[in-house]
Amino acid sequence: MTDSIILVEDLDHVYMKNTPLEHQALYSVNMTVARGECVAIIGHTGSGKSTLIQHLNGLQRPQKGRVVIDGLDLSQRKLDVRALRRKVGLVFQNPEDQIFEKLVGDDIAYGPLKQGLSIKEVTERAKWAMEVVGLSFADMKDRETFALSGGEKRKVALAGVLALRPEILVLDEPTAGLDPCSRKDLLERIRYLNQSENLTVVFVSHNMEEVAYLAHRVYVMANGRVVCEGTPRHVFGNADILHKYHIGMPETVEILHRLKRKGYAVNPEAYEVQETVQEILSILPAAGR
Amino acid sequence: MASSFELTRNITVGQYLPTGSIIHRLDPRCKLAAFVILILGIAFCGTYGSNVLALILCTALFPLARIPIRYGLSGVKPAIPFILILAILQLLFYGKGFGTGGQTYFHYGFVTITSDSLRLVVVSAMRFVEVIFLSSVLTLSTSTTELTHGMEHLLMPLRKVGFPVHAFALIITIAVRFVPTFALEMEKMMKAQASRGAEFGTGSWWRIVQRTKDMFPIIIPLFNVALKRAEDLILAMEARCYTPTDERTTYKRYHASAKDVFAVVTSLVIVAVLFAIPV
Repeated sequence: MTDSIILVEDLDHVYMKNTPLEHQALYSVNMTVARGECVAIIGHTGSGKSTLIQHLNGLQRPQKGRVVIDGLDLSQRKLDVRALRRKVGLVFQNPEDQIFEKLVGDDIAYGPLKQGLSIKEVTERAKWAMEVVGLSFADMKDRETFALSGGEKRKVALAGVLALRPEILVLDEPTAGLDPCSRKDLLERIRYLNQSENLTVVFVSHNMEEVAYLAHRVYVMANGRVVCEGTPRHVFGNADILHKYHIGMPETVEILHRLKRKGYAVNPEAYEVQETVQEILSILPAAGR
Repeated sequence: MASSFELTRNITVGQYLPTGSIIHRLDPRCKLAAFVILILGIAFCGTYGSNVLALILCTALFPLARIPIRYGLSGVKPAIPFILILAILQLLFYGKGFGTGGQTYFHYGFVTITSDSLRLVVVSAMRFVEVIFLSSVLTLSTSTTELTHGMEHLLMPLRKVGFPVHAFALIITIAVRFVPTFALEMEKMMKAQASRGAEFGTGSWWRIVQRTKDMFPIIIPLFNVALKRAEDLILAMEARCYTPTDERTTYKRYHASAKDVFAVVTSLVIVAVLFAIPV
């Protein structure tokens, strides 16, 4: 991959170094993400996903190994972290907790204002960010943040990061705890950002449907190591890996794997709903059609 | 490169290091009693000799509890500014009012330094370190549950005068229990706001207002989260029919054995020795 915007090489990370509670979270992790790609990181709690993504905007610095984001080398002590954070927008788990202003518009404008942009520019950015996550600028900007619903709060938090106009968007379990409707809406927004606004997206998820829906490539992590990497087709088709690391699979893939085990000639790599339908139809007796 | 966000690293309160040493296995009631005795002893003995001995004994507790001495020192580190400021103030002002006895080493204007005031300075700095060492060993070797049970038992006599011992113990448990939780929460908040371009503690120190304002994006959500957690906790307790006024039993019964009594007696003997040292 020549135009990789994110490059992680041989990255180690140890928490609470030199204390009895020392704990190694990452073991020589490698990752590359191309410009405009959407990459999912999956794996169990404690597998090192969150630690890895915190390296992407310099919240953690590489203790060993290298992290290069669009030409910015994080190993360099004199790195301009603020420039890096403008480039990489990181949305934490339950980002609605970080809302602190009274009014929606003010909270979204916090980041751009900190950058010292003009009020006009800030307003424009806030407007763009709100519209892009599906909040009407005119209706919502003067609403009080505490009176919002869970899904709206999540969107406000996301808009607060998008208002920084990052080139890379990193999301830690973006849909956790949302109702199915908001979840679907949010996924569509992320997909739009990736495909139409050309944002490079890296996201962590436990929901395999989400991964199947969004990701171009998947990294599977376990115990601080990347154990498998490839297209969703490749990863979901690999039942051994999925079982070995107790990773769920999308329902489509699960059906196909089960059918295959029963001796039907289906291809479990066909994870997209339409493909799965075709696969199932292909083994049904002709009379069924 | 150390991360500037690893807050939990510096918080030793409520941290428990289960090394299973003899100190860990002491009955918490006796351990707490011994601790209180030693603290009182240290607070009231004011000679060089006794404080040197106390410092040695407090340091010796670490190997006995199989806890790296680093833990004690990391507790002392944040206290150094306080110790220094206290020492300077005492050195400047104590010579006149309190430590008037002994030899006068220095006298200029309102500043008088006597052998007594000098001793006071040195002794209080040592006391500081001793107390930090002692409490570090206590909290590192005792789980919070044990600690509060111990406290509850020791305070029991106060029930006779209507003091809500159980509620008090519960408050302490909850407070201590949530220190690391909120440290983690704060860490997360700092990271989240830093990701949005916030900066903490980078402004000049005289711009106090600006620096305080910089903290709002952390403090406000933190309060929010704390209140939410408190509500959750209340619900969880009420769902389990928690009634504060009822007679409670604990699943663990403590039995003081010979070694526990020995610990208390030892601390009494130590305090007696500390007081007996003349200089």
